[in-house]
Amino acid sequence: MTYYEKELERVRGLVYSNEGQIKTVIGIRNFINKNYEADLNLDFLSHIQYVSKYHLIRLFKKYYGQTPRQYLIDTRIEKAKARLREGMTVTETCFAVGFESLGSFSSLFKTKTGKTPSQYQKAQLSRSK
Amino acid sequence: MKVTLISIPVLDQEKALQFYTQKLGFLVKKDLPLGGGNRWLTLVSKDWQDGPELLLEPGPLHFEPCKVFQDALMDAGMPWTQFDVDSVDTEYDRLTKLGVEFSMKPTEMGTVKVAVLNDTCGNYIQLVEEL
Repeated sequence: MTYYEKELERVRGLVYSNEGQIKTVIGIRNFINKNYEADLNLDFLSHIQYVSKYHLIRLFKKYYGQTPRQYLIDTRIEKAKARLREGMTVTETCFAVGFESLGSFSSLFKTKTGKTPSQYQKAQLSRSK
Repeated sequence: MKVTLISIPVLDQEKALQFYTQKLGFLVKKDLPLGGGNRWLTLVSKDWQDGPELLLEPGPLHFEPCKVFQDALMDAGMPWTQFDVDSVDTEYDRLTKLGVEFSMKPTEMGTVKVAVLNDTCGNYIQLVEEL
């Protein structure tokens, strides 16, 4: 066994020994991946896994290093990028990935990617020509 | 400031180029001569071509401490760099068929699954899938 494998075992015992918690957070993450376009809120997410919402935030952050909300937003932005590359309009994309306001989608997209959705789309479409 | 480059120390840039493109599936982004047979050689992920570039950096060949550090990581079986994949099992099967050696088979670690491969250029590389 290498030093690295021993270290992995040590960390596994330290961080990943609670299988129930791990099942819960993996379940939440998969649920977000499959339902990112829906109106997901914490009450809803915590109801699915039968845990309180504050416990849920703490657990998710403990295992994934970010809150469910942050993860949801990152997921939506990634999905939006894919749709824009496929040629979907900015407005359609905004609602298709679960945002409710075009203004907040555009500014969030710009914050996260450095480009507005339409700038991003133009750059991507001209690249593929 | 933006993070756009990840460096990997390699003893032989040409050999690394073959491995990272033909086996792992990266694409060449930039390749220019820097004199003395050295190149500024960067690759990008096929699925994320506007993502960060991977610099195949010939440090171990010219800078002894870099070689010492690289060898120590290798002795410890420790990957310094990791790549995200959709499925560690799929990549493990695909790469094993291409003759790539793994020091660690796909292994679950809580919320991730990881495997470690030898890049034949002095490094272990970890593949990771978030579960």
